[in-house]
Amino acid sequence: MAAGNEEISLPASARRLLPPFAAAPFGPLLTLSLRSLARRRPGLFERLGEHSTARFLIDPTDLSFAFSVVPDGASAVVRVTGKSGSAPSDVVIRGPLLTLLGVLDGTLDGDAMFFHRAIAVTGKTEAVVALRNAIEDAELRPSDLLGLRGVLARLADAGILGGLSAARHFAADAPVAKAGQA
Amino acid sequence: MSGRMELVCPAGTPATLRAAVLAGADAVYCGFRDETNARNFPGLNFSPQEMAEGIRFAHGNGSKALVAINTFARAENTDLWRKAADTAAVCGADAVIAADIAVLDHMANNHPRTRLHLSVQAAAATPEAISFYAQAFGVRRVVLPRVLSVQEIAVLNRAIDVETEAFVFGGLCVMMEGRCHLSSYATGKSPNLNGVCSPPEAVSYVEDAEGTTARLAGFTIDRFGAGEPAGYPTLCKGRFTAGDKTGYLFEDPVSLNAGSMIVALKSAGVTALKIEGRQRGKGYVTEVVRAFRRAVDAAESGGDPVEIDGILAGLSEGGRQTTGAYRKTWR
Repeated sequence: MAAGNEEISLPASARRLLPPFAAAPFGPLLTLSLRSLARRRPGLFERLGEHSTARFLIDPTDLSFAFSVVPDGASAVVRVTGKSGSAPSDVVIRGPLLTLLGVLDGTLDGDAMFFHRAIAVTGKTEAVVALRNAIEDAELRPSDLLGLRGVLARLADAGILGGLSAARHFAADAPVAKAGQA
Repeated sequence: MSGRMELVCPAGTPATLRAAVLAGADAVYCGFRDETNARNFPGLNFSPQEMAEGIRFAHGNGSKALVAINTFARAENTDLWRKAADTAAVCGADAVIAADIAVLDHMANNHPRTRLHLSVQAAAATPEAISFYAQAFGVRRVVLPRVLSVQEIAVLNRAIDVETEAFVFGGLCVMMEGRCHLSSYATGKSPNLNGVCSPPEAVSYVEDAEGTTARLAGFTIDRFGAGEPAGYPTLCKGRFTAGDKTGYLFEDPVSLNAGSMIVALKSAGVTALKIEGRQRGKGYVTEVVRAFRRAVDAAESGGDPVEIDGILAGLSEGGRQTTGAYRKTWR
């Protein structure tokens, strides 16, 4: 597990593949994905307790857009939005995309990322703590979010997690550009 | 102490319990999702059903499961602590870790077959105190406060007839444990009664052009410049300015790492080595447990010491590590 790996921002070439207008479909797709996950694994969202209705702004610093997430089980909503400050939120979690995905899949330790300032958190700290612990216990795989099973699930997990790992190694060695310069 | 040392590892959630067991933990410790354990954070800990399943998983993989019921029962709600103790016993816990004499007494009288370990929250560091708990409640092991040197532990072990467990990695709490009131003063909630030190609802991080300000219940406890390592938002690790000096008033935000002292702790008679961090994730737990598993096995077999400081530096609070009181260089 990498820890303290603060400089794993997406290289500029990768950012060019993700301009703001290309992000529009992510909102409805991620909303459907979360709601489907809640139907298949209802216990997964219980750890959030009262914080399931909190609005989390997930702000990848190396992208030109952010995600507004209300992880309210079968009523979950994900929207693609502008950067911090443009949408009301209870919590803002900010960091490079690959770091945020690493915390989501359990590859990276959220506390270590915070200690090393690779991710920043503002807003309702108790909601962040609840979300972190719920994600940790969920042991989410890409196939969970895609709703896949069997061989397809194994192929998707191996491909996506392997790809993310390779991307982290590549990004760690690549020159870093500021978001918006791409 | 002649047997193999036991590696006792944190489990804040069922997923982390499985990770710790599979990484080589001899025992895991965990708590219920309420005020009866000293890591009562949102989204953390176990329901009774999860506890039963977790203990079955640990036993099925050759590990022990210890249940922490280590806060102090409040007069108006003692049933919560009784119920936790009863549930732990029914779930098949190998031991209950407790500090409150009410919990210890309840366990001794109602569940005499379940081992009792004295929590660090009891702050028992003298032969007299430890012997009292052993005689009165049948306590079999004491978790030592992180204020003793290795030499002091050796002297203590020669004077007592119970096992000792020593912290070897993770967050440091060098105050007299179980008797710290800093969090209560600032927030009205304490680790001793409510199971939360610096409850997250009282913590806030505010960013501005100069960096990040950490606040606890309105008290500014630190400011970090961009890229400067951060620590947990506890008052004891706050950085304050008085006159023209700025510094950490109580202790620095560093992690304990006694990986280099495993042989010395064994020689001092320590039975079990404890890794702190029930609030940490499974990635952290897996890496730390694996590193200490190798180090303990090497120490037990008389092999070359395993250099684990470098492996774990990136996981440490504030990015720094210390051997704490075990090596009191200031003496």
